[in-house]
Amino acid sequence: MNERTAKSTQRQLKKTKLTKTGFDFGFLFTVILLLALGLLMVFSASYPYAYYYFEDGLYFIKKQLLWAAIGTGAMIFTANYPYQKYKKLAFPILIVTGILLLAVLAVGINLNGAKRWLGVGGFTFQPSEVAKLGLVIYFAASLAQIKDKIKKFNYLIRYFLVMGVFMGLLLLEPHFSVCLIIGLTLVIMLLVSGAKMSHFCLLGVPFGVLGAAVAIMEPYRLKRLTTFLDPFADPLGSGWQIIQSLYAIGSGGLFGVGFGNSRQKFMYISEPQNDFIFSIICEELGLIGALAILTLFAVLFWRGMKIAVSAPDSFGSLLVTGIIALIGVQVVLNIAVVTSSIPTTGIPLPFFSAGGSSLVFIMAAMGIILNVSKYKKQTI
Amino acid sequence: MNQSVPKRKLQIKILYVFIAFAAILSLLGVRLVFLQIINGSDLQKRAVEQQTRDSLVASHRGAIYDRNKKKLAQSSTAQTITANPNEIQKAKKDVIEIAAKLAPILEMDANEIATMLEKKTNHVTIKRRVEDDAAAAVRELELTGIYLQEDAKRYYPYGNFASHILGFVGFDNQGLGGIEMVYEDELKGEPGRIIALKNALDNDMPFKDETRIDPQNGTNVVLTIDEVIQHFTEKHLEEAYYEEKVQSGACAIVTDVKTGEVLAMATKSDFDLNTPFTLPEDVETQLASIANDEERTQARSNALQKMWRNKAVVDSYEPGSCFKIITGCMALEEGLITPESPFFCSGSKKVENRTINCSHHEGHGAQTFADAVKNSCNPAFIDVGLLVGKEKFKEYYKAFGFMDVTGFDLPGEASGIFYSDANYNTVELATASFGQGPVVTPLQLVAAVGAVANGGKLMKPFLVKELIDDDGNVIKKTEPTIVRQVISQKTSDQMCAMLENTVANGTGQNAYIKGYRVAGKTGTSEKVPRGNGKYISSFIAFAPANDPKIACLVVLDEPSNGQYYGGAIAAPVVGKILEDTLRYMGVEPQYTEEEKQNLEVFVPDVKGLSKDNAIKNLKNENLTYRIIGNGSTVLSQMPKTGSTLPTGSVVILYTEENATQVSIVPDVRNLSLSEAQARLAENRLNMNITGAGATGNSSNLTVANSQYPLPGAQVEEGTVVEVEFRYLDVD
Repeated sequence: MNERTAKSTQRQLKKTKLTKTGFDFGFLFTVILLLALGLLMVFSASYPYAYYYFEDGLYFIKKQLLWAAIGTGAMIFTANYPYQKYKKLAFPILIVTGILLLAVLAVGINLNGAKRWLGVGGFTFQPSEVAKLGLVIYFAASLAQIKDKIKKFNYLIRYFLVMGVFMGLLLLEPHFSVCLIIGLTLVIMLLVSGAKMSHFCLLGVPFGVLGAAVAIMEPYRLKRLTTFLDPFADPLGSGWQIIQSLYAIGSGGLFGVGFGNSRQKFMYISEPQNDFIFSIICEELGLIGALAILTLFAVLFWRGMKIAVSAPDSFGSLLVTGIIALIGVQVVLNIAVVTSSIPTTGIPLPFFSAGGSSLVFIMAAMGIILNVSKYKKQTI
Repeated sequence: MNQSVPKRKLQIKILYVFIAFAAILSLLGVRLVFLQIINGSDLQKRAVEQQTRDSLVASHRGAIYDRNKKKLAQSSTAQTITANPNEIQKAKKDVIEIAAKLAPILEMDANEIATMLEKKTNHVTIKRRVEDDAAAAVRELELTGIYLQEDAKRYYPYGNFASHILGFVGFDNQGLGGIEMVYEDELKGEPGRIIALKNALDNDMPFKDETRIDPQNGTNVVLTIDEVIQHFTEKHLEEAYYEEKVQSGACAIVTDVKTGEVLAMATKSDFDLNTPFTLPEDVETQLASIANDEERTQARSNALQKMWRNKAVVDSYEPGSCFKIITGCMALEEGLITPESPFFCSGSKKVENRTINCSHHEGHGAQTFADAVKNSCNPAFIDVGLLVGKEKFKEYYKAFGFMDVTGFDLPGEASGIFYSDANYNTVELATASFGQGPVVTPLQLVAAVGAVANGGKLMKPFLVKELIDDDGNVIKKTEPTIVRQVISQKTSDQMCAMLENTVANGTGQNAYIKGYRVAGKTGTSEKVPRGNGKYISSFIAFAPANDPKIACLVVLDEPSNGQYYGGAIAAPVVGKILEDTLRYMGVEPQYTEEEKQNLEVFVPDVKGLSKDNAIKNLKNENLTYRIIGNGSTVLSQMPKTGSTLPTGSVVILYTEENATQVSIVPDVRNLSLSEAQARLAENRLNMNITGAGATGNSSNLTVANSQYPLPGAQVEEGTVVEVEFRYLDVD
């Protein structure tokens, strides 16, 4: 009895304490710093390209500023929207995500043989961005609910099936890079929530074989693999972009050529404001600048993981871990691609690469983490 | 407590995830260190390579001058039209329209231009070195992606003048022949560079850090050639080339015997240096008839090589009797003979088992060595050669420079060829004595005979006098080089005298010039294989004989208009070249007593004088007269004052208006001097004698070769008819 009262008092105490904790300002500050640096670099990297092809050097930065504003709005909203509410919304979100992914296959805009964009009254976005965040929310909610049942093989296999369905839909677009990001992110979430390594190996082998088959099935992906192995075999064709990226990185040296002084952004790297913006960062800011940005990302992950660890419940922990993993996987893969450490695949660098819907979703996700950070675990 | 265990596990796993990310980020950091620091400079170098446009700025090619700084080759700027097809395509301009606009200005096919503009590239050259007005027209069109680039154009103001000496340039202004080729390094200068930043579309970057290295202009070359003498040489050689229907080309060289400077060097036929790849029409027609493409290309190439061939330097030939000068010097220098040494010619000579004929089949009989030179007697020279002997003969052959190249400033110089030791026997020595067997180049021969004229000092022939910069400062000057003293001054003097006699009284009479003492020697050699009736006719001479200044050699390879003796067809050419040249050089004529008698006098102005006074004035000048009309005052005269006449000529004096008498010019060709004189006198015409007729010892063997005005022309009585005589007894 006494024990019960004590427990309820504790619960009562916990609740009052939770609401009173503020945002993690360190995390917020890191996000704002990355966003600001991202905008500066989009401005610098995109200027010549925008000038030559759109006759307005500010073409991209203007758009990016607008998206940053919208993203900031989204972040403010999610930061103040109690994250617990996603628990109930998780399944509807998953369904909506599924519908969007089917819709994009049916009525999506076909660009270069891929259907990745949905147009809604003059406004376009990629359902795959929704899928990234949607699946993270669903997995977090679902895994928090079943607790350590995930240790059982027959539970794990259900998650693999959900993953398989959504990744399959993404491959049909086709959108291999997002499929890869989501796959890696969800695997991290499953492992963190207690799935057994041995089960993974069991399921991982057929998945891996399937993945390899998918990668090789499309001739352009195989080509990317051979290009990765020897970019100089076709310097003006398939090897061009990666060679130009390496030239840019190499040109930066220790201190860089200075902000705004990149030469490689003058159409040597095509669309320098997009996936390959990091090579322009390396050229302009040098090794020191590049390492500073890597460090900044590390700080973001550190603060994020801290928030995950301190989250009051498993759902919060898994949600933050999933989002950080989502960002982390993209950062790591993007930098690995531009440094020619892995074969080329189109992955934007979070906060830096120009591209509206992506930035809005990232900012919204940052808002969710900020919201979670409000609720600290009670310490007695 | 129950809940906190899985929670704890979750926290640890989250930490693992962070560690994993941090580890991968660190690895990527290491990768960046590798790319930016370790491989950085290499990648940067390659990046800079593609980011910069290193364009050449053509240097101004040096000019080629004659010795008096007359420009024989010069460079001027011209515009080259280029295009950036990528830029045009990117700007979505109509390629067909641009091509159509350019085509008429550049005189090109519009389709051809369109094809160039459709290429996926950043640079094509549409047309090189267009004329200024065409360039201006293109500039005015202001077409997107069409550019004008400064380029240099080589220009030869005198076209085919001195073509084999000057040489010409190729597509990229590189010297391809002659001085242009040999002095390529000096002439071309150092092209400048503009290193500019460019973006991937090949357009200039907005940064203004281009590096400009100015081009260094080429050095100017001053030749030893005198434009005027070269002109005389080319003119007279060309006349003979056509008149004698020369089949294998002709060449002539004029040198300064004291220094070795080449004053003129001509080869015929020649070509226009501004269009060196254009063959004569008849050759083109011939080429067009060749069906096989490969064969035709080969034939064209051969034809061009032949056209460009500088005979004077490249082609060795048997010098024939001209070589007797050298043989004679050997024997005189060795003290084996004197000019008075007796020789006997029976018309042929047997050497070992071979009988060698003299060109004078009846034989020259008993003669001195000086006569043998004058007569160009083969048997006498065989004797002289045998006296010299095999060893000494070869030694002198070498000493006169026939075994080496002279080191002349033109490409492809051949050296002389002597017998190999195994093939060098008495018969060979015998024939070599009169110039048959060993082959020499015209340049070697003129240098060797130059040594004979120059007191025995063999001078190295040269063509480039100095190198000067654009302000006229001398950068390098060629000093005359004495190769060696080959023979003594005494031998030289003796040979000069004998050769002067050859021209004055012997086989060389056709090179005789009034007022100038010319020393010379004829040469005729039958081309191998012998018996085909193909000859090389030549004549070598120097003047004035008492103080030699210039030497001249003329070689006609395969004349085909009947005559082939060097003395008959090459000697007159040498005579004309020497006469013009000596006059131009301001060498004072020195007349002999005989010449003085036949000297020409100025026709005095007797118009308006009384008949008696006019007659008195004419008599004072040793002129005779003929009066037409019954008046007492001379109203007009023919020839008019200002012209010159040989003494004893008739001046027609008219004492009435409109009394002019017309005479028809008779044909005096092939007549002897006295016959021609009589024939003209019958027609009341005066005669001016040139060529061999002027020697003053004309015989029946001296006949008129050509005349002006031509036979049948209607002229006023008293007109002077110029008649050129030739001496026929030559070899």
